[in-house]
Amino acid sequence: MTFQDLILALQRHWAAQGCILAQAYDVEVGAGTMAPTTFLRALGPEPWNVAYVQPSRRPADGRFGENPNRLFQHHQFQVILKPSPKDVQALYLDSLQAIGIDPLEHDLRFVEDDWEAPTLGAWGLGWEVWCDGQEITQFTYFQQCGGFECRPVSAELTYGLERIAMYLQNVDTIFDVEWVKGVSYGEVFHRNEVEMSTYAFRASDPAVLFTLFEIYEKECARLLAQGLPLPAYESALKCSHTFNLLDARGAISVTERAGFIKRVRDNARACAEAYLAVRAELGFPLLKTGWTVGQQPPLLEGVPASKSWESFLAEPKS
Amino acid sequence: MNDDLLFEIGTEELPAGAVEPAVEQLRTLVLSGLEGAHLGHGAARTLATPRRLTVLVEGVAERSPDATRQALGPSVKAAFAPDGSHTKAATRFAEAQGVTVSALRRVQTPKGEYLAVEVTEAGRPASALLPAVLGAAVHGIDFRKRMRWGDVEQSFARPVQWLLALHGQEVVPVVFADVKSGRMTFGHRFLSPGPHPVAHPRDYPGLLERVRVLADVGTRKERIRREADEAARRAGGRIREDQALLDQVTELVEWPTALLGSFEERHLELPPEVLVQEMTSHQRYFPVLAADGRLLPRFVAISNTPVRDPALSVRGYERVLRSRLSDGRFFFDQDRKVPLAARVPALERVVWQGKLGTYAEKVGRIRLLAAALTRAVGRPELLEVVDRAALLAKADLTTGMVGEFPELQGVMGREYALASGEPPAVAQAIADHYLPRGASDPVPADDPGALVGMADRLDTLAGLFVLGKPPTASADPFGLRRACLGVVHLVLGRGYRLSLGEAVGHALEGVGKKLGLGAAEVADAGAQLLEFFRGRLRALWAERARADVVEAVLAAGFDDLLLARARLDAFAQVVGAPDFTELAIAFKRVVNIVEKQGKDVSSEPADPRLFQEGTETALAQAARRASAEVHRALGAGDAPAALAAARALKGPVDAFFDKVLVMTDDRPVRENRVRLLREVAQVFAPLADLSRIQAETGVTP
Repeated sequence: MTFQDLILALQRHWAAQGCILAQAYDVEVGAGTMAPTTFLRALGPEPWNVAYVQPSRRPADGRFGENPNRLFQHHQFQVILKPSPKDVQALYLDSLQAIGIDPLEHDLRFVEDDWEAPTLGAWGLGWEVWCDGQEITQFTYFQQCGGFECRPVSAELTYGLERIAMYLQNVDTIFDVEWVKGVSYGEVFHRNEVEMSTYAFRASDPAVLFTLFEIYEKECARLLAQGLPLPAYESALKCSHTFNLLDARGAISVTERAGFIKRVRDNARACAEAYLAVRAELGFPLLKTGWTVGQQPPLLEGVPASKSWESFLAEPKS
Repeated sequence: MNDDLLFEIGTEELPAGAVEPAVEQLRTLVLSGLEGAHLGHGAARTLATPRRLTVLVEGVAERSPDATRQALGPSVKAAFAPDGSHTKAATRFAEAQGVTVSALRRVQTPKGEYLAVEVTEAGRPASALLPAVLGAAVHGIDFRKRMRWGDVEQSFARPVQWLLALHGQEVVPVVFADVKSGRMTFGHRFLSPGPHPVAHPRDYPGLLERVRVLADVGTRKERIRREADEAARRAGGRIREDQALLDQVTELVEWPTALLGSFEERHLELPPEVLVQEMTSHQRYFPVLAADGRLLPRFVAISNTPVRDPALSVRGYERVLRSRLSDGRFFFDQDRKVPLAARVPALERVVWQGKLGTYAEKVGRIRLLAAALTRAVGRPELLEVVDRAALLAKADLTTGMVGEFPELQGVMGREYALASGEPPAVAQAIADHYLPRGASDPVPADDPGALVGMADRLDTLAGLFVLGKPPTASADPFGLRRACLGVVHLVLGRGYRLSLGEAVGHALEGVGKKLGLGAAEVADAGAQLLEFFRGRLRALWAERARADVVEAVLAAGFDDLLLARARLDAFAQVVGAPDFTELAIAFKRVVNIVEKQGKDVSSEPADPRLFQEGTETALAQAARRASAEVHRALGAGDAPAALAAARALKGPVDAFFDKVLVMTDDRPVRENRVRLLREVAQVFAPLADLSRIQAETGVTP
């Protein structure tokens, strides 16, 4: 299965379940989780079901295209199902069948993994999914996002596309993965790895980056003050990526590091709060759609967790 | 009819490590629930896999027995009016109990005479009681981490998928979040998913095996061990013993199958610790050893599915390990390009703790402290080795390998030190300074590692105490309890005679300087830290002697830990003897008198010119002799001799109390007697505070 067929198969599978196929977010992010289609949509009571490929940039992981397993930029296939369906594991396993991983031919395992993203004020519990000892997916039930409890809980599935492709194609380096017949991953992206790594480790200008960080940070605050969380969040993401670039460059000392991380997190949290306020003001419109994926059994005990947002609706936060 | 009870909580894959504690709690909760509901029952057993927690209880009663109990009403005084008729209080009580006042009887209670009545409560059927028992059990299991799912408020370690609850053939209705109980169970996720109906609890274990679930933890563990052993034997070796790994793997599978894989022989050039770590920590493979204990280029992986073509899975396992070992090799080769000593400056960029600075600063303090400790234990000839080891102790934290495998810190330091041409004693000390890692770990076999390790731990303890961050009941992020016990084990295990107070003082000086603190703040932290040591010693020695004896010995000081332990053992030997109990009682009398009467009395020794009785002179002489002997023996580390010398005072003390009345009206004589008794009390002071020993026989076990 080519890299492209892998993406198409996953898209077909999740589209058939009722997910929106979104396109990759066009601001630099380190993971699919950071795209607003995940980070912001996981907040509040509204349903949300989406699948997309997210190019994910991690400057410090750049290896100039010389390491067979590590990349400056890799691709995640990201799925968010909110509320998490009762049969989410089964839906996921079906998706593996769809890309040719038969559970009777491979040792498939759900191995505990606690996920935490301090820069997003987010954490969740779930698994690494193993196929014959190889981690192929991160499977997380979001518990908190931007410092807010997730009610309802989103299930996040993050497929490591390069790794899965290497496994399916039985090749030992990412660059040998076949993208389409006759064209390799290396032919598409190797030069990108070389140049981006060079940029991250040698060519970037820390003075410029520090200035940009300040600008984006101020811009985020300014836009939030005008009640515009979506553009503000773009600035927050730019801040985060700029921090990653500075970090890879070794331009941030140990003593400063924690302070920068806190500034990034404070931005993200402020955006989360403002986003919720806007959605509340709009009356959480997606609630009316009744849009769900998979099995959603009725509650037998207690009240729906999403009810807790009613008070948020009653008194929107500043 | 009594019948078996079956309760299975079906879940998505639980974390390894959570399964066994959870099922044990489930068993306890269900049994205590049955007891609370007065439902008799037979034996209980548990079954558990990553996807289910099950308890099976034999012969649970059909109904709870009728019970009679006495209902207590008003006191007789309140129950009767002066004219002898019943008061409102009495009639209301009778009404509430559903009887007439004439049925009330008088009973004697510790509080006086009351009216009471025997009431009979009818037993209730199990079908009415079990839902609450099982419901409370599923809600009551405590997990280290819990999560919610979907739109539910309830939480569990992972989402609950089904509940199977049967009493005999009847379903016990239980709900939890979005799940309702039934008679269905589910088999192996891929081989026989189900649902499968269970007719009766007794069918359950056999049914599970047919649907490819080996649910008994012990049996599954045994199967894994046997299969892994067989696979290893096929490769001409045996499995490397690793109970923790076996436990973990057991909680990762429902239907284990062992598969044998291999890796390239050239990777055997890596240190064996690295290979073991690569195989076990992330991949959970079992390493395979040759007869001579060396690693073979083989591993055994435990699959959860008996796959159609094992070679395909094995290829996958091997590929993952190959890429990890290649990474490991890459780190190992890269790391060795830089001599270990050249990595030391890089520690300036590694934070140890925010306020306490970087590892470079910590290493600076460890060097000073280790040198002081080396002198304190009388090994100045080791100063050079100790200082070099202290300098390099943390340098491996900047290596790629330790970045990838923090567990290999120390081990990699040793390897890289040897590769850099450091003396073997220095290399060994770098690895040793992390020992003991846990309670069952040995202390280092040589002094340099022990001294550096002690300095490292004391610096950690001093630093966090000065910052006012001692561990709490639930949180000990810096492992201060372990660090404290580590220091104790090092001192005792290596047989060091040194002053704990001075060692702590040196450590505090270092961190105090870093933080720019005043002497008072530092001294305050020191006192707290020594109290922390006292608490750890109390816990550590609880198995060695009675709690009151431990307390008495610690109260007399533990600056010299070796001597404190010897004193404890000496006291533990004699504390049960009858004459010792008498001595303790006599000593208490001495202390009482000194405490009550000694406030305004001169602290000088007793004046022989004021003695009026021969027993006074005899006691004074005995006390001075004993005091000298106690100090001599303690100085020589001979606690039993010191104790024997002090115990010799029993006769003279008894004789003194027989003949002499301390509280005479003649004030100078009285005060002189108090001074004499103070001398007696002081003989014991360096041994133990005898007043803390429970002298009344039979009070303590």
